[in-house]
Amino acid sequence: MTLRLAAVALAALAFTASSAAACAHPRTSLSYLEGQIMCPTCHTTLDQSDAPAARRIKAQIGRRIDECWTADRIRGELVRNFGAGILAAPPHRGFDLLAWWLPVGGIVAAAALLALGVWRWSRAREEPPGADAALDDETERRLDELLARLD
Amino acid sequence: MRTLKLTGQAVALAAVAGLLGLLVWRLTHQSHPPKLGGPAPSFSLHRIGAPGTLALASLRGKPVVLNFWASWCVPCKGEATMLERAWLRYRSRGVVFLGIDYNDVTRDARTFLSRHGVTYPTLQDGSGAVADRYGVSAVPETYVVDRRGRLVVHIVGTVVGQSGELRRGVQAALRS
Repeated sequence: MTLRLAAVALAALAFTASSAAACAHPRTSLSYLEGQIMCPTCHTTLDQSDAPAARRIKAQIGRRIDECWTADRIRGELVRNFGAGILAAPPHRGFDLLAWWLPVGGIVAAAALLALGVWRWSRAREEPPGADAALDDETERRLDELLARLD
Repeated sequence: MRTLKLTGQAVALAAVAGLLGLLVWRLTHQSHPPKLGGPAPSFSLHRIGAPGTLALASLRGKPVVLNFWASWCVPCKGEATMLERAWLRYRSRGVVFLGIDYNDVTRDARTFLSRHGVTYPTLQDGSGAVADRYGVSAVPETYVVDRRGRLVVHIVGTVVGQSGELRRGVQAALRS
């Protein structure tokens, strides 16, 4: 009985070791991928969905991870199966690059406009029109009279 | 200062126009079920369990029953056997049954077809684009297309319990 148990334990250990060793690269994980893949029926990422379709996709990803597929290969298969809409973020190439760079461009343009506006506004405050203009004789005379009365 | 103000106004106006454009685009591109009596939206999809693609246009002249399903859909399991029986009954009269697998993992779809003994052709609509054009909001849904490519019946939900509607649709399509 003990011998049998030991044999079973050894076989299990050998199987685990062989399946781990079969991967020539670090094994990806479901938790890493499920935030990058959308549930096609509920339009949230897999990690936020328990819909039947999401559960099936998670199971498929799990199978592929067991078969030592890389994250890229798994994503590629899902895109072939479901189309590019299955990815939570657009790829960093081609037309899809616009989705990454347009917001950055928008923020830079808005910041530049704001900076320009602030610069112009501060310049306008520093130099009020006619601030350095001299008083005419009549105003200067009246001012002197007023000051003399105050004394 | 005036130039800056004008530029700011132009940018704001452009942003509002862009957002309005997006709203109009979204409203005009929402999926609605096509009208009965109108043409069935055309498509060409890859087959599951067989090589190549199949286009609806290639079936013009034959009545077609289009069933949208998915392996993860519980009611689809219930109607699979019934649809297979209906296909075996009507195929000698030239009726074509087509399964359209929607938003599904292909491997699971194959297992489903084998488990439920489905022998009529099944096509893969992985992205759900064709289902969108047919206004499918939840599977299963079934359409009957007549010989002239017009939609004659739309069954929302499982055909189990709506077999009369399916029969009526097939009869109408055969008469067309």
